[in-house]
Amino acid sequence: MTKIWKETGFVGDDPWIIETEETKAGSNEKAILGLDAFLAKVGEGDETGLGVVIAPADDVTKLAPHLDRLALVAVAFPAFNDGRAFSHASLLRARLGFGGEVRAVGDVLIDQIPLMLRCGVDSFAVSNATALKRLSEGRLPGIAVHYQPTAKAATDAKSYSWRRVS
Amino acid sequence: MYRYDEFDHAFVSSRVEQFRDQVERRLNGELAEDAFKPLRLMNGVYLQLHAYMLRVAIPYGTLSSRQMRMLAHIARKYDRGYGHFTTRQNIQYNWPRLSDTPDILHELASVEMHALQTSGNCIRNVTADHFAGAAADEVADPRPYAEILRQWSSVHPEFSFLPRKFKIAVAGAERDRAAIQVHDIGLHLKKDENGRIGFAVYVGGGQGRTPMIAKKIRDFLPEEDLLSYTTAIMRVYNLHGRRDNKYKARIKILVHETGAEELSRQVEVEFAALKDTELKLPEGDIQAISTYFAPPALENRAEGWESLARWKKTDEDFARWVQQNVQPHKHPDYGMVTISLKPIGGIPGDATDAQMEAVADIAEEYAFDEIRVSHEQNLILPHVALADLEPIYRGLVAAGLATANAGLITDIIACPGLDYCALANARSIPVAQEISTRFGSAERQAEIGELKIKISGCINACGHHHVGHIGLLGVEKKGAELYQITLGGSGDENTSIGEIIGRGFEPEKVTDAVETIVDTYLGLRRDREETFLEAYRRVGPQPFKDALYGSAQEAA
Repeated sequence: MTKIWKETGFVGDDPWIIETEETKAGSNEKAILGLDAFLAKVGEGDETGLGVVIAPADDVTKLAPHLDRLALVAVAFPAFNDGRAFSHASLLRARLGFGGEVRAVGDVLIDQIPLMLRCGVDSFAVSNATALKRLSEGRLPGIAVHYQPTAKAATDAKSYSWRRVS
Repeated sequence: MYRYDEFDHAFVSSRVEQFRDQVERRLNGELAEDAFKPLRLMNGVYLQLHAYMLRVAIPYGTLSSRQMRMLAHIARKYDRGYGHFTTRQNIQYNWPRLSDTPDILHELASVEMHALQTSGNCIRNVTADHFAGAAADEVADPRPYAEILRQWSSVHPEFSFLPRKFKIAVAGAERDRAAIQVHDIGLHLKKDENGRIGFAVYVGGGQGRTPMIAKKIRDFLPEEDLLSYTTAIMRVYNLHGRRDNKYKARIKILVHETGAEELSRQVEVEFAALKDTELKLPEGDIQAISTYFAPPALENRAEGWESLARWKKTDEDFARWVQQNVQPHKHPDYGMVTISLKPIGGIPGDATDAQMEAVADIAEEYAFDEIRVSHEQNLILPHVALADLEPIYRGLVAAGLATANAGLITDIIACPGLDYCALANARSIPVAQEISTRFGSAERQAEIGELKIKISGCINACGHHHVGHIGLLGVEKKGAELYQITLGGSGDENTSIGEIIGRGFEPEKVTDAVETIVDTYLGLRRDREETFLEAYRRVGPQPFKDALYGSAQEAA
């Protein structure tokens, strides 16, 4: 089963559901739309608080004019070794300045979560058993010293300009 | 050379503990092999034909004696008493136990070394000219920039799951000894008209099954933009590089399919947004890193000229070694020594624990404690007084390391091939050994002159056959090994990809074929000054085809 995790812990009552042909959001749920459906929807009305999922081949910068309509952007890792969403999340935060929720969906594994966090992902749809276990035990395998600035703000390491600590 | 500070120590030891945890989870079954694989690869651990293999990073090929002794210790304690220096300036151990690898990494960390990103689809060990800081034709030392790139790329969260591996090389001299045009990114240090330091930037070179020469996408990139521009390239590649086919996933394919002009435009757009961010390098930081690479204080040692002349007169072997393995240093009283890891009939790039220790001792006593690994799988002492050459030579002779063949036909590059590698189709090492033995006579090698033979045991081209003057590629045909020959490749500032000369040769015939090629060259060269490569570029493949396959017969 899939649980939503944030740095503050597991989220009990997450309303978001990724809409597909088969799956539609129920009355108590909020839809995460595909990029095309989202762009169509923002053209039709002025609804805010929307959710969108960016597939690996999508151009995330297409969201730029509509950020104020978005509450959540999901970035997709269809397989753990498809790293495009790391760039999508980085661009969302650092380039577009998106301040809402950025959620990793798909093949979200424990060893990748620290990297995703640093790229600006702040919520995780986790179904991998090991990841769920480790997260529930509070054992995240991250390293606290970093050799590069990234989308997630970190403390200056008081060393070379590229170094950070968290 | 660069020394770790507290930050680096904290990073590397955290990383070792992180990996120890991953290995434990793998061993207790919590982590499946397919999920473990990219994690172990990013820590240098491969699963090979017979065993795990550990590839230790030697950033830009620079080592101290202390570090070399640690490499010897690891060979002795955890492996079978030897290691293999690679074309990416690293060292590989062929027989470690998986359960030992965290301890090996822990020991490496004690001498400021690691195995980080020596494999996997991430930014690999950054390589540089092995004569950096010593060569007379140098514009600037490439190692400070390689070190900055090494740090910046270490566990880069955005670029740890790229479409494919990514290799960066930096050259700092007019002569390109780092083969930058066959790397994913090649940086060539230069000065602009105002004397500012920067880089010509090449992208999309590579070997493998689709060899390509890199395209220059920037004439001059100011040094302060190194990280922002590299980030721009990496981001374009991470987003747009092909992921549908492993064999088309390198950036060279993206450059080829997108076109260099369009790719360069995309990079410039991304760069424009990154240029004035926190990635910009402050001059003070470049200075501070450069200080680590300040050349040693080289006293004038003019007495060396006279003693060198005297020693050469009394010892013909020594004279030959100096002639072949010592090159001029920017200080006239010094030389750059190549320690050949290509003994006649031996395995290219292998060194025993005792040999590593001998080199460490010599470097400590005579060569300012500095050792380099060259991408041609030799070791280098970059700063040696001519006055010290004779005792160094004696030490190398005693260690079996004084083969006088740098740059000659027996200075062969070869991948591990089917003797070790899980990917190989054919053996490389025995072919290298047989060619080396056939041409082993010092007189014959001298007569032939500069000639680079490079051997790969499969299409992945780890033995760099595409850029060999003579390249041999092992293929499998109907269950048997066959060697395809390419001629005219070169990996320097005039990079070229070798051309396939015709149908391949069986293992027992390939050395004869090489000999035929060499004899053909000797017969047609204008004079002794015309090297094999120059002659080939002048006459083309036909005379060689005729000699190998007969003039009437059309080479298949």
